[in-house]
Amino acid sequence: MAIIKTDTTGMRPLAFADPRHQAAFQFLVDESYLLDAQLYDEWIETLTDDISYNVPVRVTTARSAGFDTSPGMAHFDDDKYSLSLRVARFATEHAWTEDPPSRLRHYVTNVRTFATENEEELFVQSAVLLFRSRGDNREPNLVSALREDILRSGGGSLRLARRLVILDESVIRMQHMALFL
Amino acid sequence: MEELSQMLADVRRGMIPAYVYNDAGVFQLEKEHIFERSWIFLAHESEIPEPGDYVVRRILEDSFIVVRDEGGEVRVLFNMCLHRGMQICRAEMGNASHFRCSYHGWSYRNDGRLVGLPFHAEAYGGEDGFSKSGQTLLPAPSVDTYNGLIFANLDPNAQPLRMFLGEFAYYLDFYTKQSEEGMEVRGPQRWRVKSNWKIGAENAAGDSYHTPQTHRSVVEIGLFREPTGAKRKTGALYWCDKGGGTTYKMPPGTFRERLRYVGYPDEMIDRIETTWSPEQKRLVSDDGFMISAATLFPTFSLVHNWPKVDANADDDSVVPFITMRVWQPISATETEVISWFMVDKNATDEFKEASYKGYLMCFGSTGMFEQDDVENWVSITTLAGGSMAKRLLLNSRMGLTSADKPLNAPVADFHGPGTAYIGYGEFNQRALLREWADCIERPLEQVEQLAMGKKISKADSRSLER
Repeated sequence: MAIIKTDTTGMRPLAFADPRHQAAFQFLVDESYLLDAQLYDEWIETLTDDISYNVPVRVTTARSAGFDTSPGMAHFDDDKYSLSLRVARFATEHAWTEDPPSRLRHYVTNVRTFATENEEELFVQSAVLLFRSRGDNREPNLVSALREDILRSGGGSLRLARRLVILDESVIRMQHMALFL
Repeated sequence: MEELSQMLADVRRGMIPAYVYNDAGVFQLEKEHIFERSWIFLAHESEIPEPGDYVVRRILEDSFIVVRDEGGEVRVLFNMCLHRGMQICRAEMGNASHFRCSYHGWSYRNDGRLVGLPFHAEAYGGEDGFSKSGQTLLPAPSVDTYNGLIFANLDPNAQPLRMFLGEFAYYLDFYTKQSEEGMEVRGPQRWRVKSNWKIGAENAAGDSYHTPQTHRSVVEIGLFREPTGAKRKTGALYWCDKGGGTTYKMPPGTFRERLRYVGYPDEMIDRIETTWSPEQKRLVSDDGFMISAATLFPTFSLVHNWPKVDANADDDSVVPFITMRVWQPISATETEVISWFMVDKNATDEFKEASYKGYLMCFGSTGMFEQDDVENWVSITTLAGGSMAKRLLLNSRMGLTSADKPLNAPVADFHGPGTAYIGYGEFNQRALLREWADCIERPLEQVEQLAMGKKISKADSRSLER
């Protein structure tokens, strides 16, 4: 079943001054730092054990079709185990696609935080733009996406419990999509 | 021309001029000599199960609507309006009874027939000015299917697909027919890599030698137990008619035990046992080989692997997955990879999910195998564009002596068709590029032009000079 992004029409985001929004925004900015610096072991620690990390394949469809993701196919459909394996691979000395490492920058903006029925969980929308430069003279790549996250509080900090990444392209223009958004 | 015949001669002796991986002139030859007259995979029937279901796919620059019409027949229609050449269908997939052009409103049924032509009487004087009756969107010149795989060929005189496949069909069945009901696919994922299309096709055809180095990390993290150097060199490499592939040697055991070893549950093995022919089963039971990667000339590749996808499973538990892909050329230096996940329709939902997960972890746009492959191929393509690459003949003669004899004799008593060798060798890459060279050498034939909406006269029915 195609995953459709949440319709936030009529939902009121928390005010920017709300401490819950500020905590969520800070989480995303801090997370971007970890991803840019490729501190993946630390990044894994920011995920809940039941993390669902999903990046569906976008497809171009008629407006009337009622769906714009590929039925049943994703780039990522990951849990903590598979994410941990991906991170463990980057830590080996033979993950050629990131050795030499790419230069990464995650730009996070358009952050909107929503309270949910569960007091411990925030629903957070954000836009992310990933810039990736590989080697000395290759054309850099850009990946643009909307993210929909569930951030769960516990033990005095927020953790990522669910991430749905809605890519803005159907055909990816990068040599692979195996970078975390 | 002397340069061309030298290039083909070099390729045929397994010395590959590096520039063939990045040369606009070579790519132009490939466009006309290979892609205008080869069978190209477009879609699987399970992508369009209901009448009106369609997907839009390409052969190089040519866009086709692959659609199941109201009568249930699969049509492959050139996606260009007969009037002004507008792209009729601008979505990638969907369901439609008709396709209407957004430019002037001409409309076509999903079997391609032109049914709507606004102001036909006023604008053309009816049938006299534009004979609409019997007009259809141009069908792909040749269309054929095998095990639900839909192929098209731009050559109207192409030999039938089944003849083109030849005995490679024996191997294709392992991937695409695990029960009488056949397979279902998910996807595709599509992404563009700055790599020449031939490199991926060659790699999947027979490069067991790269696995221990390129994919070392995947073994180190425990995702896949097989691709060590010691295990890969005991597999057989086979080439047969238009395709070839790699295999892994299985531990001792029966047919059933060996399929269990790669993770098939008994209820799937029951169906596989009644679906594969005795000769196909002997490849597994008597010879002890399990198919892995393969390529059908020119751009269709398949992979069968069996990673560990479950964190809680005991140490040896694996789940098999199957993927197929097209290396669709964009230019001499860019390829769109179009990659599907495929599974037996009759498998349990639990198996389908686990197998899909194995695919995502290993192959496709985020796969832990695939990303290291592409890093190599991009690098090769970039360097192949320079002056030095024109002076360099890459040695693709692995497995041959200086006298052109195989280092080891072909496998005796191999139950599959074609020729098979055990150990490392670039037999299949050479076979693929020999096919490539033969195609490039074969002269082009004339292409018929069609005049839309006019009564055919001598002046309209002519051939395009090449």
